[in-house]
Amino acid sequence: MRGFKKSMLLLSVVMLTGLSTMSSTLAEDKPHYGGVLRVALAGDPPSLDMHQEQTFMVTIPMSTVYNTLVMFDQHHYPKIIGDLAQSWTVSDDGMTWTFTLHQGVKFHDGSELTSADVKASWDKIVFPPEGVVSTRKSLYQMVKSIEAPERSTVIFRLHYPAASFLSLLAHPANFIYAKKYLDQDINWYKTHAMGTGPFKLQEYVRGAVLEFKRNPDYWKKGFPYLDGAKYFIIPDTGARAKSIRADRTDVEFRGFAPAEVEAITAQMGDKVTVAHPGQPAHWGIAVNVDKKPFDDARVRQALSLALDRYEMAKTLGPLTGLDTIAGPMPPGTPWTLRPEELQALPGFGKDREANLREAKRLLAEAGYPNGFQTVLTNRAVKLPYIDFGVYVVSAWKKIGVEAEHKLEESATWSKSRLTRDFELLVDPFGFAAEGDPDEVMVKFTSSSPSNWGRFKDPVVDQLFERQKVERDTQQRAQLVQDMQKRIIERAWEIIGLWWTRVEVRSERIHNYEPQPSHWLNRRLEDVWLSAR
Amino acid sequence: MAIATRQARPVESPQTLPRHNLWEAMCKFVRTKPLGTAGAAIIVLMALAAVCADLIAPYDVYEINQQLQFAPPSLAHWLGTDEFGRDVLTRLIYGARIALFIGFASSFLGTTTGAALGVLSAYLGGKTDLWLQRLMDILLAFPLLVLALAIVTVLGRSIPNLIVAIAIPIIPRTARIVRSSALAAKENVYVEAARALGSSHLRMMVRHLVPNVMAPFLIVLTAQLGSAILTEASLSFLGLGTAEPTPSWGLMLSGGAPMYAEKAPWLAIFPGLAISLAVFGFNLFGDSLRDALDPKLRHRT
Amino acid sequence: MWQYIVKRLLLMLPTLIGVALAIFLLMHVVPGDIALLILGGDQGGELNPQELVKLRAQLGLNQPLYVQFLVWLWGVVHLNFGTSLWTGAPIMEEIMIRLPLSLEVAIAATIISTLIAIPLGTVAAVRQDTWVDYVVRVVSIGGLAIPSFWAGILIILFLVIYFEWAPPLEFVSLFRHPWENFAQLVWPIVSVGYRYAAVTTRMTRSTVLEVMREDYVRTAWAKGLRERAVVVKHALKNAILPVITIIGTEFAFLIGGLVVTETVFTLNGLGRFMVDAIAHRDIPVVQTLVLLIACIFVLVNLIVDLLYAWLDPRISYR
Repeated sequence: MRGFKKSMLLLSVVMLTGLSTMSSTLAEDKPHYGGVLRVALAGDPPSLDMHQEQTFMVTIPMSTVYNTLVMFDQHHYPKIIGDLAQSWTVSDDGMTWTFTLHQGVKFHDGSELTSADVKASWDKIVFPPEGVVSTRKSLYQMVKSIEAPERSTVIFRLHYPAASFLSLLAHPANFIYAKKYLDQDINWYKTHAMGTGPFKLQEYVRGAVLEFKRNPDYWKKGFPYLDGAKYFIIPDTGARAKSIRADRTDVEFRGFAPAEVEAITAQMGDKVTVAHPGQPAHWGIAVNVDKKPFDDARVRQALSLALDRYEMAKTLGPLTGLDTIAGPMPPGTPWTLRPEELQALPGFGKDREANLREAKRLLAEAGYPNGFQTVLTNRAVKLPYIDFGVYVVSAWKKIGVEAEHKLEESATWSKSRLTRDFELLVDPFGFAAEGDPDEVMVKFTSSSPSNWGRFKDPVVDQLFERQKVERDTQQRAQLVQDMQKRIIERAWEIIGLWWTRVEVRSERIHNYEPQPSHWLNRRLEDVWLSAR
Repeated sequence: MAIATRQARPVESPQTLPRHNLWEAMCKFVRTKPLGTAGAAIIVLMALAAVCADLIAPYDVYEINQQLQFAPPSLAHWLGTDEFGRDVLTRLIYGARIALFIGFASSFLGTTTGAALGVLSAYLGGKTDLWLQRLMDILLAFPLLVLALAIVTVLGRSIPNLIVAIAIPIIPRTARIVRSSALAAKENVYVEAARALGSSHLRMMVRHLVPNVMAPFLIVLTAQLGSAILTEASLSFLGLGTAEPTPSWGLMLSGGAPMYAEKAPWLAIFPGLAISLAVFGFNLFGDSLRDALDPKLRHRT
Repeated sequence: MWQYIVKRLLLMLPTLIGVALAIFLLMHVVPGDIALLILGGDQGGELNPQELVKLRAQLGLNQPLYVQFLVWLWGVVHLNFGTSLWTGAPIMEEIMIRLPLSLEVAIAATIISTLIAIPLGTVAAVRQDTWVDYVVRVVSIGGLAIPSFWAGILIILFLVIYFEWAPPLEFVSLFRHPWENFAQLVWPIVSVGYRYAAVTTRMTRSTVLEVMREDYVRTAWAKGLRERAVVVKHALKNAILPVITIIGTEFAFLIGGLVVTETVFTLNGLGRFMVDAIAHRDIPVVQTLVLLIACIFVLVNLIVDLLYAWLDPRISYR
């Protein structure tokens, strides 16, 4: 009898333990309402209007406040699903896209979203009025007009059937604003945040924190799970990493350098998850071709030849994540230049000494046998801007080019870029949608607002025009590759390195997977935090 | 003969530097003030390193070396290398050049201008004195770093601007001290006599007042040198002074040093030590100099 | 005594106006066209002339200089400092958000350092040339030389690496959440305060030493009063005077130290606001902050002078 009692006791203990473990693991999979996500952010957004800005410092916090027409599936990138759009149809010739919107979508101020709001927002993006900046407008050069015939219908009419249209439409920067406020003041959204999204901007203390609170009337019922999100502005990279290590923040949404990731994982082990979602951005140098001596192709080529990209990747890789050599198109796409092709191009050859000799020869031919002095304008952000700048400045010394490394704070650097107040400029570019050539290569056309150096090469323009309407993938790839080769040969932009993004997040964050670009998947509508 | 001449003169104020026996004075200093001598030695060593940087630096200061990234201190690289494979010792030596150059230039500029103003103010007296004093009071209302920051804001970030920005706060601090010494010297009977003989103003100031303020001038100069170096380091650390890849000590502490501190602690330690050592040396030397020349000034600088 | 206070307060006024004038001239006259400075364009870029016109109107730059100064001064007296070019909010508002933190660090650093330094310096003087004295001297000279931002960096590193701890990111009032507040501010206070403590310790030590050599102290000693009573009553009272002066002048250094320390510890205080404003070329904010700091400094010096006069019966109330 005693033995029986004992074994019953033991059995019940075992069962209870088993059940509770099971229930806690099951509870892990079940979304948990509540909690505030704490994010480490590298700096202040220059303004709150994403349409007019180019930096992740706006996209990352402000994506929580708005919806877009269509978006990349949070869990199945690069699949595109509707956000505000419930469904859509395409005409047979590919030139008319009709979107049907969800019903009953409310803005934070209570008013209902209609197609007029979608049209107003997209008009602002594609056909910005005088004085309004829309840096990505040339992505949408295929759009002829946007119509809102009924309350829940939006029609995009295109000039030509572009293969890239839908993925460009899903670009995360295309927030849908309320027409009411755009009519009042087209720049209203620079200083206000009012959208249809899962969170509302509660408070913004400049230099310190952006605080967002849950939108209880979010039109996607049951979402969001989080009570809110706080974006702490921590300009120093080391301090951001330390905030994760000391559990003062849960995630950093842009990326850390490999050295820091090492330190974080060494300390926190499996309390953090490390992801390598992709290579979304490239750092190169834009050249202001209206300033002497940069109008001379030989000078530009010399500057490019002086950079030993293989060594640069090995040096800067562990420090910044800049570790991949490719042409203007990102690595790993059907449009990427193959390594053999790349190595044949000037600046990408492996014979370092020959490159340096050639560079010096070109400079002498152009009339600068002893080099010259110039200014490299750079953004005062350590990773990878400053490190990249330091490397490049040091490399150029070898051919006699003395570049003063001029560091400017983000907003000032943006302005210098816009007003062409530079000779040489550290220039990041990349993709936030899918990396289609229409997205990446448009920058190199002469009419693009993000062609900072304002170079005009009719060959490049022509190739771009042809590829954008080309429906045969192989033909198109050929055109894109020719375009890349031309840009490298003429050194219109000095190609640098591609950046491998490493995202570190707390293991308490669930239902979230990082996507290649740090601009993507920032709405947080279905992300949840497990309890401490 | 020399002794007789000296006795014939009226009482020399204790602040006059004995010009004839500088060497003797230096030897006495070394003997009686070991701490001050140590400070002086540090300063001299740093100055030598700065001046002969091109000769003694083992490596190139800007050259990036991929194989040597984060190399710990070794025989080849005594203080290790940084994230770009650049030799830390080399960068510290050139950093000394920048620190001492900017430090000397700004404190020299500041103390000389301040001393000139102080002498002028004391000599001319009356309304001029009052207005100059008011001006100095106003300038003194600004903490050193804050004023330097404000000046850098409007002038911009270049090295000459830095020197001016650091020099300006030093002017009133010097002027105040030099003025009171000059005032004391003015009372000297000798000055009255020369005045009666009709010496020009300039001659009066230069021959009679200036020598008497040399002692406080030197004391303030050494005191401000340390703080000038610290100010330059702070400005560079804040990102408002020198920019990468210039090897300034303050800059070296703001960049990769805290980030890579676990991988390469020497990056965060040595530049800080360099700054501390420099300021330490100037403080030690300045303290002892002040004790030697005029203990009464102890509470004023 | 009251006469002296009133007199000093009145004398302070012209100094403050002079300070305001100096700042105004620095910010508006020195750089030439300040609108151009704010918008950049020093590399010859394509400045939008419309923006320039708009900014000049916004800053009221089209009026004669003295009018601009008087308008600004009038605003200052009413605590209206204008609007920040960077944040778009009234500068007064932005200052009030950040003032409590900086004030707390400055005051706490001053009080704690003084409380540590005076006894330490006294003990070192009383036990001159013993190991206590040497330790105190070495530590305080070290404290003088170490840059406060370096100390801050080392402290943070130490805390993160060995204790896996970093200070909280948000400022909470001392009166509402004292423990959180302490956790965030204790290390910045140490960082800023130790140099302050070092200088004050040295000064205390040297003045106490001097005073102890004075005849009246030796007389008291000979009278047989207990050592402590002698030291505290006679020596300290007189030694404190130069020390108080030093506290006043070193406060300036403390404010400077606050600027770097807030940057190192990522604190949302006035120091870091100033650095950010400079980086953003937000001249109105820089102007206001420099004025504020100068005024605080003048006030502190006034308090020090009054304290000095009160403590030292030998000073006549001129």
